[in-house]
Amino acid sequence: MSEYILQLKNISKYFFGVPALKNINLELRKGKMLGLIGENGAGKSTMMNIIGGVIKADEGSMVLKGEEYQPDGPGEATDAGITFIHQELNLFTNLSIEENIYISSFPTIGRLPVISKGAIRTKTRELLDSIDLKLSPDILVEKLSPGERQLVEIAKALSSKPDIIIFDEPTTSLTARETKKLFELINKLRDQGISMIYISHILDDVLNLVDDIVVLKDGEVTDKGAKQDFSIQRMVSSMVGRDLEQMYPERTSKPSNEVVLEVSNLSQSGTIHDVSFKLHKGEILGVFGLMGSGRTEMARIIFGLDPYESGEIAVDGKKITKSSPQNSIRNRIAFVTENRREEGLLMHSTILDNIQLVSLREYAKTILKIVDSKKVTESIKDVVKMLKVKSGPVEKTAPKSLSGGNQQKVVIGKWVMAKPKIFMVDEPTRGIDVGAKYEVYTILNQFASEGSGVLIISSEIEELIGVCDRILVMSKGEIVGEFSASEFDKERIVGSAFRQNVRC
Amino acid sequence: MSARKNPMDTKLQENPEKRMFRIPDLRQGIKRIMVSEYFVLYLSILWFIVMLPVIPNIASSRNLNNIFDFIWPLLAVCVGQTLVLLIAGIDLSQISVIGMTSVIGALFMSNRIDPNVLSDSPLWGTVISENGGIMANSMWAVPVGILMMLLVGSLIGLINGYFIAKLKMPPFMVTLVTQLFVYNLAIFLTKSNNIIGIPKAFTEIGKGKIGFIPVAMIITIVLCVLSQLLLSKTVLGKWIYAVGSNVKASVVSGVPRDGVIMFVYAFSGFCAAFASVIYSGRLEMGRPTLGQTLLMDIVGATIIGGTSMFGGKGKVLWTFFGVLFFVLLTNVLNLFNLDTFTINIVKGLIILLAALFDVIRTKIQANDTKVEKAGA
Amino acid sequence: MSKTAIKFKLAILKNTPFILFVCIFIIFGILSPKFFQYENFENIATSASYIGIVTVGMTFVLLTAGIDLSVGSNMFLSASIAGLLIRDLNAPIWLALLCAVLVGTLYGGINAFFIVKLRILPFLVTLSTLVAGRGLGLLITKSQGVTLPESISNWGAVRVVGLPVPIIIYAVIALIAHLFLKFFPMGRQIYAIGNDPEAAKKAGLNTDRSIAFVYIISGLLAAIAGIVSVSQMGIVNAGFGDGDEFDAIAAAVLGGTSLFGGIGTIFPGAVIGTILIQMVQAGLVYTQVDMYIQPLIQAAVIFVAVFLDSIRSREISKIEKRHIRVEN
Repeated sequence: MSEYILQLKNISKYFFGVPALKNINLELRKGKMLGLIGENGAGKSTMMNIIGGVIKADEGSMVLKGEEYQPDGPGEATDAGITFIHQELNLFTNLSIEENIYISSFPTIGRLPVISKGAIRTKTRELLDSIDLKLSPDILVEKLSPGERQLVEIAKALSSKPDIIIFDEPTTSLTARETKKLFELINKLRDQGISMIYISHILDDVLNLVDDIVVLKDGEVTDKGAKQDFSIQRMVSSMVGRDLEQMYPERTSKPSNEVVLEVSNLSQSGTIHDVSFKLHKGEILGVFGLMGSGRTEMARIIFGLDPYESGEIAVDGKKITKSSPQNSIRNRIAFVTENRREEGLLMHSTILDNIQLVSLREYAKTILKIVDSKKVTESIKDVVKMLKVKSGPVEKTAPKSLSGGNQQKVVIGKWVMAKPKIFMVDEPTRGIDVGAKYEVYTILNQFASEGSGVLIISSEIEELIGVCDRILVMSKGEIVGEFSASEFDKERIVGSAFRQNVRC
Repeated sequence: MSARKNPMDTKLQENPEKRMFRIPDLRQGIKRIMVSEYFVLYLSILWFIVMLPVIPNIASSRNLNNIFDFIWPLLAVCVGQTLVLLIAGIDLSQISVIGMTSVIGALFMSNRIDPNVLSDSPLWGTVISENGGIMANSMWAVPVGILMMLLVGSLIGLINGYFIAKLKMPPFMVTLVTQLFVYNLAIFLTKSNNIIGIPKAFTEIGKGKIGFIPVAMIITIVLCVLSQLLLSKTVLGKWIYAVGSNVKASVVSGVPRDGVIMFVYAFSGFCAAFASVIYSGRLEMGRPTLGQTLLMDIVGATIIGGTSMFGGKGKVLWTFFGVLFFVLLTNVLNLFNLDTFTINIVKGLIILLAALFDVIRTKIQANDTKVEKAGA
Repeated sequence: MSKTAIKFKLAILKNTPFILFVCIFIIFGILSPKFFQYENFENIATSASYIGIVTVGMTFVLLTAGIDLSVGSNMFLSASIAGLLIRDLNAPIWLALLCAVLVGTLYGGINAFFIVKLRILPFLVTLSTLVAGRGLGLLITKSQGVTLPESISNWGAVRVVGLPVPIIIYAVIALIAHLFLKFFPMGRQIYAIGNDPEAAKKAGLNTDRSIAFVYIISGLLAAIAGIVSVSQMGIVNAGFGDGDEFDAIAAAVLGGTSLFGGIGTIFPGAVIGTILIQMVQAGLVYTQVDMYIQPLIQAAVIFVAVFLDSIRSREISKIEKRHIRVEN
């Protein structure tokens, strides 16, 4: 037997011809921990899904414990000794710890279909002891803190006696103390001979915990080796190291000094804390942060979708008293949400219906609120033309039949129709191709040059550097850094987002 | 897997569609017909033609009149239900609204009330007496009576809407409770008796004709046309479709979700009261139990018409076809002299079939998008 | 809102069944002192037993976030078939009752088929089978009452260990159901499915099987409830079981079972809810409330139950949301 417990050999995966993974080679040493890092969308989750049997690789093979490994469904992966700890928890809050751990395979009394309370209690207690979690097995999960829940997930994973545990961002919901405890546990598991893959954005953690590191970028392994050879510096540059080609349009205007949006001391417990910034006319302001840093929550609060406890939002110097989407639209704020499918589009309606939705009221001035369909259609056709949406007739085509890029343009078009002076976009280029990205940037650019303030939230740092005048960095619900165009430096910005995470 | 796709992907995504059209087999044809707007109309015509040799009576002028007499009031209720289904809700209280408003109308309009029948009513002596209702013998009795019926109907609907929108209670449960409550309230007010003595001007709405066109037909068609205009031409109508297609996206786009929901349920109550005007006029009385047997007909006809239970898809015209089909179907069962029980069994099954059909249609359409979904 | 205030609110919302129980008890007790007599409680319990049995089945269904509106028709249909078998075919009683139970189970199976296999919304499926089932029952009985032999109608009044038989049957069923939900793997899995169906699927649970199971159980228990009810009334008339689904839903929800799934118990939940509903009905009779007003009050009670359930679910999800976000 080799020193490797799991090997991936030349794994490739395509989604409709578009490669998501290209020739991945990766080795997990027995009883060791492998750190897997990469930006959002680098292919980490695709890879994990292949290992976990959720999807199948198109090319290549896997070797588990010296044997060919071709899992057919997540169940087979578990049987083969591989378990996952996901970022989002999969626990049933209305059940107890022990029931959650054994929900799919309750120990029974003999052959009777009756749960053996004794067995389940002892087994659970052993598991909880082994991870040093001092909780009664019969306590309901809803009563547990997020950290404790995470540990219960680990206990659940251990209950199947796995050889390999894969952690996917296990610390996003944990406090510093809970994180420390988790790491102690992870080290203990390694001492017991369990092999692990650890996926995280928090580079310091990775560096502290793992034995080997693999860096993924655009579906390819760009760097790998023993931990000792890595520094944060090297990790970051392997992750983001790509030359800025002609991917971003030239900025044609300069921001003015006039403030269009001012947020002061905005707080909502549990999401954002004491957020203050100013957005100027004609400015493109970037907000960089990792998932869960509070960047989306901040935008939702500003737009009036979520409430806030304290602080102030002012548009054009006027304080907003009652914050709601309707009011925001009246104040000419636009908000392109990060999730097109769920919050952006009426998938089965027509493009026309989608684009007119925000500004319907403006095209219906009569008492009966009859929409001037001729006028609205004309305006929509102008918008569609300006945004270069490639589609069939707008009256007949549904967004569901469009590509991701064109779908995103429809969402943007909806807001363009409302002629916003504040344009907030959350992950505007997620899941769209390079060409469409360029066009999206051009549109935002154009808005800025016409005097609107643009706020881009993104987890792709190059994108922000490519298009922004200024970048704010968020972490743990707070603004932890601000960089003006002259100070733009990928590694410094990313570092500030990452390192802040470790400190608190 | 998401972030980076190359510009090729627009082209690549066309592939599956092309593949779909390459197989011009029977299944595609059936699919095409099933998702067609006029499918239910074809079905109704087919049913009529097939039944013609079996029961020639079906085409007699008396029977045809009969069929249309059934269609108009049912269509009016179903228009309201259509709007509710459009926002992915359901209104089970319509049937009780019909009975309640029937009583309300009579309480205002009746010209003479038999003390032997209604002196037990809690309203006796205050609202009603031997001399009739509140506005007995007034020239304004009929317009005010109708207005009050429509008002009460809308109000009951508005209450439904309030609890569904503001308190986020499940629609079927809220409307089920109002159904119970309103029905029992109508029974209580009348001690389960009918109120007669309705002025002729009112009964003419249900039974009268202008030339050879029934008044009921005219007003119902006006209601339908106005409703369809509301849906397709006004801001509100577009909001209704938007809320039904994707609530979250609608709220982000500034659609006043709560207001839309409350309007729709109020409108549903309005339509039920509207139908009650026709039904009560025909009966020449206010009857608290009026409409109680109609639930299956309302839900069934609307769903058969093709309005989806999952929201965002439906038209008044479709509902007209659905009502036509449903009435034709029950008419034939009646002509076969089947008893009401059997007819009820058939109706129950028809609704299940219609619901199944809705699920299948939704699936066919979802399949068209599946390809792209997997990619994103 | 402070943490203690939230906790207090949650405590109230989670214990509404008990609070309501005590309130109603006191109100009727003050209005009518006769309410406190032992015979009254026994009466309440006896007449509660058949609704209680239906409520047990309803609780199973509600735990999966479903609904079964067809139980009243199911009671009618299965009891009618038993009655007809005995009256017209001289079938032995045990066989007739067995048939009734089988019919009820099959009825539930049909609901399950449409819901699980064809994925039609539960309330629509059971609404349709409600109408169709009653239609079928009326058809076979020609809408005339079916009188059962005294041998059946008598044992409704028989006492075993000092308690009327219906109470004993109810107690046994409630006990079995309670143990099943608490100690059987599938019982716990039903809770899991109601809590998060997606996560349940991910955890490898056979959600379809469990959901089908609860509708079949609901049908089976409706048939048994029909038999118990017949044993008290002696006749299956056209209105038999009509509207009982509301009482069952109300009882379950009043007992703290959520319409949104995953929350609820047989004991104390469904049992207390049943007694509560029955107490309201008996109390209305005792305090001589107008016959016509009684159903209005009952509808209001159901509404209050659903209303409290909605508020509770909303508060819980709000607090959960806060939890999730705190750590982000």
